[in-house]
Amino acid sequence: MAGFILKYRWVIISVSIMLGAGFGLFIPSAETDPEIRNYIPRSMASRVTTDSIEQQFGVQDMIVVLFTDSSVITGPDLGQIKDADRAFKRLEGLETVNSLYTARDIRGEEGMMIVDPLVGKIPETADEIAKLKENILSNQFARDIVISSDFTTAAITGTVNPGVSESITLGKIDSIIASSDGDAETLTGGLPYIRRYIIKDVNRDAVVLVPLALVIMLTLLKVTLGDWRSVLMPFSVVVLSTALSMGLIPLFGWKISIISLLVPIIMISVANNYGIYLVTRYQELTASETYLNKSEILHGLIGSLNMPILFSGLTTVAGILGLLAHSIIPARQLGVLAAIGISLALAMSLLFIPAMISFIKPTRKANVVHKDPGAFLLRITGGISRIVIRWPDRVLTVSVALTLLISIGISFLRTETNQENYFPHKHPVRKASEIINSKFGGSQTISIMIRGEIKDPGVMKAIDDLTLHLKAAEGVGTVFSISDVVREMSKALYEPGEPGYDMIPASGEAIAQMFELYNMSGDPDDFKQLMNFENTAAHILVRLSKPENDIIRSLEADIGRITADFPAGVTVGGYAIIMADFAQKIIRGQLTSLLFALLTVFILLSIIFRSVKGGLTGSIPLAASILIQFGFMGLAGIAVDAATALLSSIMIGVGVDFTIQYMWRYNAELRKGLSHREAIQKTYATTGRSIIINALSVMAGFSATFFSGFLSIRFFGYMVLLSIGSCLLFAIIFIPAFLLKFKPAFIEADLSRKIIKMRRNEKDVNTGSIGTHLHGSHGSTTA
Amino acid sequence: MLILAVLVLTFTAVTGQQQPDPVQIMEKGRDLTMIASLKSTMTLTIYEKNGATRVRTISMVSKTTGGTEKRLVRFVEPADVRGTAMLIVDNEDTQDEMWIYLPALKKTRRIVSTEKGKSFMSSEFSNADMTTATLSDFRISHMPLSGTGDSWIIESKPVTEEKAEEYGYGWKVTYLGKKDLKIIKMEYYNYENTLYRTIEILSSRPVVGSDGYIMTEMVATNLLNGRSSRIVYNDVNTTAKIPENTFEVGNLSR
Repeated sequence: MAGFILKYRWVIISVSIMLGAGFGLFIPSAETDPEIRNYIPRSMASRVTTDSIEQQFGVQDMIVVLFTDSSVITGPDLGQIKDADRAFKRLEGLETVNSLYTARDIRGEEGMMIVDPLVGKIPETADEIAKLKENILSNQFARDIVISSDFTTAAITGTVNPGVSESITLGKIDSIIASSDGDAETLTGGLPYIRRYIIKDVNRDAVVLVPLALVIMLTLLKVTLGDWRSVLMPFSVVVLSTALSMGLIPLFGWKISIISLLVPIIMISVANNYGIYLVTRYQELTASETYLNKSEILHGLIGSLNMPILFSGLTTVAGILGLLAHSIIPARQLGVLAAIGISLALAMSLLFIPAMISFIKPTRKANVVHKDPGAFLLRITGGISRIVIRWPDRVLTVSVALTLLISIGISFLRTETNQENYFPHKHPVRKASEIINSKFGGSQTISIMIRGEIKDPGVMKAIDDLTLHLKAAEGVGTVFSISDVVREMSKALYEPGEPGYDMIPASGEAIAQMFELYNMSGDPDDFKQLMNFENTAAHILVRLSKPENDIIRSLEADIGRITADFPAGVTVGGYAIIMADFAQKIIRGQLTSLLFALLTVFILLSIIFRSVKGGLTGSIPLAASILIQFGFMGLAGIAVDAATALLSSIMIGVGVDFTIQYMWRYNAELRKGLSHREAIQKTYATTGRSIIINALSVMAGFSATFFSGFLSIRFFGYMVLLSIGSCLLFAIIFIPAFLLKFKPAFIEADLSRKIIKMRRNEKDVNTGSIGTHLHGSHGSTTA
Repeated sequence: MLILAVLVLTFTAVTGQQQPDPVQIMEKGRDLTMIASLKSTMTLTIYEKNGATRVRTISMVSKTTGGTEKRLVRFVEPADVRGTAMLIVDNEDTQDEMWIYLPALKKTRRIVSTEKGKSFMSSEFSNADMTTATLSDFRISHMPLSGTGDSWIIESKPVTEEKAEEYGYGWKVTYLGKKDLKIIKMEYYNYENTLYRTIEILSSRPVVGSDGYIMTEMVATNLLNGRSSRIVYNDVNTTAKIPENTFEVGNLSR
């Protein structure tokens, strides 16, 4: 291997650079996908039903512009809303516009059915204002739909025209709002705006987080590895492998999502891991051995590290590939991209870094002047080793007790799929959503499509019963239904108290004639979202004031129960249902990817240690970290969402390295004839330091996510720190204590009989001498 | 197109050829469509983009006296709305009046509505298309190519924002035959100057005893949503004597 690297070092370096640079050229052509529903497979039941409803009644994506003031029923505010309404209606990008000025006042008065605009002339006197307020409160198509009952907020809503570029439409809306003249404060919301903010924030994150992560990584490597030469070798692997994995996004025909934004962060954090082991080993060799030539250095590097690095890389890739079992599409894509990127980083670390090292002129030990940057870390590992060796039982007991205590939080774990909550509280989208949810019946919707002869009185009555039931249900803000239109028409045709007033007529002809009447007097587009052209399908649109998953699930079950004997076909869908399904998918995806990753890592560990017990032992830190991670999330109220759902696989992939590296070195030290305690000490002093640097570099890389525009990504970053931190602590505290306490046979299986015999006769040294030994060892490696 | 328009304008200016007053053209064109009395059945077919159709057949009686047009419309098809009747009084200077009778409910209601730009019976025709336009509501002018071919091409722009809101469009272009001043086609532009709707007159027939004519088949097409509507007049009788009491509210239920 060393000969191969020496012979082809130029080829290795050139190919590595060309791969990274070549794929990196494609990165600028990557597009952003802000549509959360694209995270879910098209075949999922709720997507299929929602698509069928939207095919009939159009996409329900709606822009919402809010006008807020202490009261919007004032001349300047109403003028401002009127100007905006008029300008919006003239936009090609909006198909329908609903506002105070499109709402109609349909009423029966002295034998006349009067159809008037709700707001005709802007009121000037106190009486006119009072009259308008009274009309608004009695108009069920305006109250809490285009104006709040407390008159503090008016809303203009519009459905987007898919034939016009959404960004152009939103740009025009923004300029209309900016030029509107009035006292009311304006806020924009709705899915098209959420999508735009997602694109903006994803692009911002890409520009800010990636360079930030690179700078953090560079700084950390410099602090921990010392000289620039040692820093640049793993860092160049990071840059090249990250460029390759990101360049694959457009090549695979994929788009950048909130989730795939994590690919470069994962790569920056993880891709240098193997290089760090090699560089620290190189520092070890050049500092502690006598003069070594190029070939000997490469043999020293590869001979001692190739296998553990290879296994570490494979387990990381296996852990990350656990994401392939996830149901969320970008999670699977992330799994593929990160797995390819890490595989390349692994190959580069094993070939590219030794090839680079081969160009460094070998020096005699006397000439090596290492300013040991890891002395501080060695003091830490020395301290830990003393505790572990002195009190292995206590270390094990405390670790298990703490893990179990934190894992209690799992029972409080919740899922979060409301994309509004991806944004911080002060974000305009959050502010607008809070107003929409509290004053306008909510922005998340459930759609119910009824197929049959809608004008049939039996069907219309059933629609009306369902509508009334839903209006009274918990978490429901407003309900729009064709039966409301029929009831409203009956109120205009009959006098209060007269039979038929505010009722569904008993004959199909009466219903048909009412619709015809509405066609004559109102705008048929008013209810095109509630009933199709052929009158064979109706749509009940339910807006949720509390779009929580359990409420959505309960409503869905409720609708299923009520419509079991419905006189027409019923299809339930809508964004809220998709999101509830998404939550379930996240949980299921989390479980399947977790099991897949755990199982794969367990199998790999069993192969590496040639023992099932070895596989189980190596999996302890992962299992404990999973419990700690979910337990902490439950206790801290951090929800499992699209981003945090990726945690387990990433943690398993990255965190397993520490245990493998530790156990591998421990075994190597035992084979050299050291006692258990000496082997523990030696492992702490050598690989222990690399493990800590590695864990710190992973955590440092992910810490860039603290500056993300998305709350979810920030929480992801916090949780990576926690889970990698716990993996690290279990690998360097629990595992040594476990090995010392139980002295498992698998770790000693390949030792020679002589060593095993010696081991049996081993008289453990006391911890005082361990400290001395460690100190001496430290001195010998760094002098 | 622009170069051609400039050439035409230049040519007109050089030759000193005067175009007739566009307002007069529109007035004459409108007067030709005003019919003193009409008895007919009308079939309105609405075509959805997805191929679905909805057919309405109505019988219609109308009479114009002293600038006021009265229409009595009764649904024949489909069966569930048969007998539904409407009386529309299209006043020249005051607000229009409309009554409707619903046989299934045995109710007559007067409908008061101020919106002309709204759809006519859910079709791509608007209520304004079905009534005689008030020309003073528009600024009328020739389009650059007007009169260069076989037609006058006249632009009508609502005089105020409010009128534009009322009619529901930004501006309209009317093509009238140069010889007979018959309307050939109308194009409607929205507020962003995009052509969004057209009305084409596919056939017409003369009114006995006058220079006027009646449009017997026309198609309105919405270019934005892909829907179109066709109106066909059958059994047209422009000579029938229609008694004035035909247009009484009480007649709606008969």
